[in-house]
Amino acid sequence: MTPMLTLGVSEYALPASVLAPYLFVSAAMFAIGLIGFLTRKNLIIMFLCTELMFQAAGLALIAFGRHHLGEDGQTFVIFVLCVAAAEAAMALALVVLLFRRRETLSAEAWKELKG
Amino acid sequence: METLISPIILYTFCVLGAAGLSLALPRRGSKLVPIGMILLGSAFAMVAVSFAWRASEPLTGGAGPGLFFYLFAAIALGASIRVITHPRPVYSALYFIMTIIASCGMYVLLGAEFVAFALVIIYAGAILITYLFVIMLATQAPTGTEDDMLDDTDAVAREPVVGSIVGFVLMGLISIMLLGGIETGKPGSIKPGDPGFQPDAVLASLPVKVDKVLRRANLIDADERVLRTEGGGGVFDAAARTITIEHTELGTTRVIGADNWPEELSAGNLDRLGWNLLHDHPMTIEIAGIILLMAMLGATVLARKHVELEDSLKAEQAKRLSGAQPRPSGGGAS
Amino acid sequence: MITHLLSGTFLPSVLASAPGADTAQAASIAHGPKWVLLIPFLALLAACLNGVYAAMGNKTKLPAWTTVALLAVSFFATVAMATGFDGNAYTVKAFDWIQVHGDASSFVANFSFYVDTLTIYWMLFVTGLATLIALYASEYMSHDVGVSYSRFFAGFALFVFSMSCLVMGDNLVMLYLGWEGVGLCSYLLIGYYYKKPAAVAAAKKAFIVNRVGDLGLALGLYLVFVHFGTVEYAALFSDEKLLGYLDAAKVGAFDQIPAIAEWIALLLMVGAFGKSAQFPLYVWLPDAMEGPTPVSALIHAATMVTAGVYLIARFYPVFLISEHALPIVAWIGTITALLAATIGMAQFDIKRIMAYSTVSQLGYMFAGLGVLTPTGGAYHVLTHAFFKALLFLCCGAVMHGFAGQLDLRKLSGLRRVKGWGVVTFGMLVGCLNLAGVPFTAGYFSKDTILAEAFVTPGASLIGWILLLTAGLTAYYTFRVFFRVFMGPTEFHPGDEHHDDHGDDGDDHAHDDHGHGDKGGFHPHAPGWAINAVLATLTIASLAASGLYFVGSGEHHGTETKHYADTMVSSSTASYHSPYSEHAFHAGDHGDSHAADDHADPNAVQAGVGPRGTITEPLLLFGQDPHKVMYYVSGVVGVIGIGLAWCFHLWGRTEAATCRMDSLARLFGPIPRWAENKWYVDEFYNAAIRVPLRIASHLMHWFDKLVIDGIVNLAGMAPRMFGWMVRPSQSGVLQGYAAGMVGGLAMLLVVILLVVRLGGGS
Repeated sequence: MTPMLTLGVSEYALPASVLAPYLFVSAAMFAIGLIGFLTRKNLIIMFLCTELMFQAAGLALIAFGRHHLGEDGQTFVIFVLCVAAAEAAMALALVVLLFRRRETLSAEAWKELKG
Repeated sequence: METLISPIILYTFCVLGAAGLSLALPRRGSKLVPIGMILLGSAFAMVAVSFAWRASEPLTGGAGPGLFFYLFAAIALGASIRVITHPRPVYSALYFIMTIIASCGMYVLLGAEFVAFALVIIYAGAILITYLFVIMLATQAPTGTEDDMLDDTDAVAREPVVGSIVGFVLMGLISIMLLGGIETGKPGSIKPGDPGFQPDAVLASLPVKVDKVLRRANLIDADERVLRTEGGGGVFDAAARTITIEHTELGTTRVIGADNWPEELSAGNLDRLGWNLLHDHPMTIEIAGIILLMAMLGATVLARKHVELEDSLKAEQAKRLSGAQPRPSGGGAS
Repeated sequence: MITHLLSGTFLPSVLASAPGADTAQAASIAHGPKWVLLIPFLALLAACLNGVYAAMGNKTKLPAWTTVALLAVSFFATVAMATGFDGNAYTVKAFDWIQVHGDASSFVANFSFYVDTLTIYWMLFVTGLATLIALYASEYMSHDVGVSYSRFFAGFALFVFSMSCLVMGDNLVMLYLGWEGVGLCSYLLIGYYYKKPAAVAAAKKAFIVNRVGDLGLALGLYLVFVHFGTVEYAALFSDEKLLGYLDAAKVGAFDQIPAIAEWIALLLMVGAFGKSAQFPLYVWLPDAMEGPTPVSALIHAATMVTAGVYLIARFYPVFLISEHALPIVAWIGTITALLAATIGMAQFDIKRIMAYSTVSQLGYMFAGLGVLTPTGGAYHVLTHAFFKALLFLCCGAVMHGFAGQLDLRKLSGLRRVKGWGVVTFGMLVGCLNLAGVPFTAGYFSKDTILAEAFVTPGASLIGWILLLTAGLTAYYTFRVFFRVFMGPTEFHPGDEHHDDHGDDGDDHAHDDHGHGDKGGFHPHAPGWAINAVLATLTIASLAASGLYFVGSGEHHGTETKHYADTMVSSSTASYHSPYSEHAFHAGDHGDSHAADDHADPNAVQAGVGPRGTITEPLLLFGQDPHKVMYYVSGVVGVIGIGLAWCFHLWGRTEAATCRMDSLARLFGPIPRWAENKWYVDEFYNAAIRVPLRIASHLMHWFDKLVIDGIVNLAGMAPRMFGWMVRPSQSGVLQGYAAGMVGGLAMLLVVILLVVRLGGGS
C-alpha cells in the first residue's frame, strides 16, 4: 500500500481500485443527504440536505469524468452548480414565504394535500 | 464488483450504518447519540479498510487512492453526518460548509482544480451564506430552558429508524450499481505515454498561450509566433511533439522539434476545461445564464412584501407613478 | 266435394330417410275443400273483432252478437263438413308453417287441419255448444258491458279457435298449439274477475297444474318425432313400424315393442291427465269455478277438459302398443271418479258439486278408454258435454238470479218461483242424465263403459268401483236437485246484490217483482237468451238418447250400432276389444252373427288381446255384461235417487237442514274431511309448494350473498384499494419523498436482478 501524494495527475485513467472509493463516498453522501431529507422537519435543513445530494452527484460526476478522461464531467458539474444556485435562490424565497404564512419552519405545517 | 468490495462487508456496513444513524438522529434528551456516532464511524472505517486491503492486491490492478483521499473522505462524511444529526440549523449549515471544503479536496485529488475552486467560491461563499441569512431571518421562537430552547421542529427527527433503513438500503443498491458499473466501463488501462491519449492536443487551439510559453522559454523571438491555421488555431502536433513557427515579418516557417520541446508546455486543467465549455457547450452557457436571470427575478418577485392599500391610496399611487413619466403626445406611438 | 289424390308429392321425398317413414308406404291423403278453414278462422276473427271493440270503447252488446254470429256460421260449416264427408279422411292446409329439412330427416308441421270422423264428431259439439253458450253469456255477462264484456268474448272466441286447432290439427304441433291456447284462454277467463284475489289464484293454479301435464305432452311429442320420424297424423298412423307394433300388441306380445314406444304413450298420458283434471292433477278444476258460469260450462265441462280424452282417442294406436299405459289410464280414471264423487257428496256450493261431478265423469271417460272401449269414452264425452253444460248453465241462472247465492243450504223450492220453470226442467233433465236413469243418453253411454270394464281381463274391480261411483253420482246429483229445486220455497240472496236492473235492450220477465215481498229481495228470473239456450240444451239432451239407436255399418259386440260407434270406428281411434267380442259370442247372439265376424278383417281370435289370452269370456252374473248392465246400472241409479230423496227431501221443512245432517254426525269426522276435499290441496301445499318456497328463499339468499356479494365485492374492490392506498397521500412532504425513494430502490433492484445478475448488461 503506497501512499500516493500525486497531484494533478490527469494524464492517465484511474484504476478501478482508485475509482471505487470515490464512488462509494458519493453514494454515502447521497444516502446521508436522503436520510436527512426524510427525517428532518425544518424546511431549511431539508433543502440543505438536497444540496448535500447535489454535492454527492457532483463528486460522482467528477470521478467518472476522470475515469473517462474528458472534461465533460467537470463541465457538467459547473452547470450543476449553476442550477443548484438558481434552485437555492428560489427555494429560499419560497421558504421565506411559507414561513410568513405559518410562522413556523416545520414541514408538518403543510399537510393540506392530505387525501 | 466482488473484487472491489466484498458484498458481506457492504451489507454489514449498511446494517451498522442504519443502526448507528437511527441512534444518532436528534431526539430530545437522547443519550445514545455518541453511541450512534461510534457505530457509524466504525462502519465507515470498516469499509475504508476493506478498500485499502483490496487495493493492495495485484488483481485490482493498482494502488489505492491514497492517504489524502481517506482524509478528505472522512472529513466529508463526518461533516455530512453532522449536518443531518445536529439539532441546531446554523450548525448544520456550518457543517455543510465543512463538507464542501472536504469535497473540494477530493476534486483536487481527481485533477479538477477549477471546479474545486468554483465550488468553494460559489457554494460555500454564496449559496451557503444565503442559507445562513435565511436561517437567521426565519428562526423559530425559543420556548424556555437550555435544552428546550429548540423547537420540536429541530430537536426531534421524524421516523429516524425507517428513514435510516430506507436510506441505507438505497445506499447499498446504489453502491452495487456504481461499483458494478466500473468494470463495464471502457477506459482504465491507459497509462502514461499511451500513444492514443493526448491531453495536450487542445493546445492546438490555443496559439496565444503556446506563444507565451515558448517566449518565456526563449525558444522563439519576439517576431515569431506559432503558424496560424485557417480556423484560428496553431499548427501544433502534440503526438509528434512538433510546433511550426512562422516569422511574422519574414514569412518563413520553421519547426520546433521534439528535442527542443519546452517542459512547461502542457495543457492544464483550466485550458482544457475552458475549451470544452466554450467549444462543446456554448448554448448551455447561454441557457445557464438565462436560468440564473430567471432565478434572480423570481426570487425578487416572490419575496416581495404585499402591502394592502386602500383604494384611494392606490389611486394616488397610480397617479404619482404615471405622473413621473413624460406624457406621450396624443395618438402617436412613442 | 273435390278430392285430390296426390301420391308421392304430398309428402316431401326427404322424409324417405327419416326413421321408419317410407315413400312406398306413405299415405296419399286427400286434400279437402278450403272452406273448412272457416271453422277455426272465423273464431279467430271474432276474437280480433272483440279486441277492436274493446279498443274502441264499445258499450253495447255488439261483441256478444258478433261472437254468436261468427260461431254460428262456424257451426254450420261444421255441419256442412259432416254431411259432405264421404268417408275418406283429408287434410286442408292453411299455410306452410314449420319446415325444417335436414340431410337425413325433416320436421314438417304445417298449419293444416285433418278431417276424419273423430274430428267431425268432436267439432260438432264443440262449435254447437260454443254458439249456444255464447248466446247464454250475452245475457249472463250483460252487467259488465264495456271493455270487460269485449274482453270476455275475445277470450271466448280465442278459446274456440284454439280448441279447433287442437281437435282439427293435422300434426302434433298443431295439437300442442291448441293445447296451449286453450290453457291460456282458460287462464284468461277464469281470471276474468281479476280484481278478486280468489279468481286470480284459481287462474294461476289452473295454468300451473296444466303446465305439469303439458311437459308430458311436449316430451311425448319429441319422442314421437325421434322414434317415428314424423309428427303428422297421416304419416304417423300409416307408419310401418307403428303398424308392426300394433300387430304385436294386439296379441299381447309386448316384448317385441321397444321401451321408447311405451314411454311415448306414458308421456302423452301425463299431458291428458293435466288437461282433463285426473288424479293427481285435478285440483285446478274445482277452483276454476271462480270464473263466470259460461266459462265453466263451455271450458270446464264440455270442451277443454275433453281435450285429454281426445288426445288419447286420437292416439289410440300409440296407446295400444304400450303395455302399461292403458291400464294406468283406466285405474287413474277410476280413482278419480270415486274420489271426486266422495268429495262432491260433501260440498254445499252447487257449482262446486257440478265441478266435482265433471272430474268424476271425466274419470269415467278415461276408464272407458283404459278398458279398451274408445267408443264408450267418446260417446260419454258427447252426452256428458250436453248435460253437463245444461247443468252448469242452470246453476249459472240460479247464481245470476239470486245475486250470487250458490249454497244449497240457503236455497230451496225454486221450482215454485215464477219464471224459473225452464231452469227447473232443464236441471231435472240434466240430473237424470247425470245419474244415469234408464233411457237417458247418460245411461247408455255410462253403460257402455261399465259393461266393457267387466269384460276386459283384470278390470272387474274397476267395474265394481265404477258401479259404486254411479250410485254415488246419482245420490249427490239428486241431492242438489231435491235441495235447491224441491221442497219448501225459501231463498236468501248472495253477496253480489245489484240494485240496478237497468234495461240494456233485453226484455226480462219481470213478473217476479212482488213488491209486497217482506225480504226486500227480488230474484232476477232469467231472460229470453238464457231460457232459449237452456231449452235448446234440454231438448238436445233428450234427443241425444236417440243417438243410441242411430248408426250404420258393421258392428261388434253390441246389439245396435250407435252414432258414436260409427264415428269412432272409421277414425284412427277405432278399436274393437276382442274380449268384448268373446263375451258377446258367449251370449245368445253368437250364432246369428257368426257370418259377420268371419267376414270382418278386424275380428281377431276371440279372447286374444293386449291383456292376455283368455279362453272363457268374462261374464257378469253369468251373462254377457252388455246386456246385464242395462239392468244393473239402472237399479243402482234408482237406488241412489231414492237415497237422495230419503235424506234430502222427505220431511224437509227448511232450506238449511235435512235428515242427512243427523246421519252425517254418525260418521264422525269423515264428512268434514270430504268437505275439505280430503286435504289434497293442503298436501300439495306441504309437499310441493313449501319445499319450493324454502328452496327459493335459499336461492334468494344465495343470490343476495354470493352473487350480489361478488358483484358488490367487485364494486368494493376499488374502494378498498383506495382505502389502502389513501394513507400514502398524507400531505407530508417527506412521505412523498420516501415513496419516491422506495420506488427508486425497487427499480434498482429490478435492474440489478434482470440486467446485471441475469446475464450481464
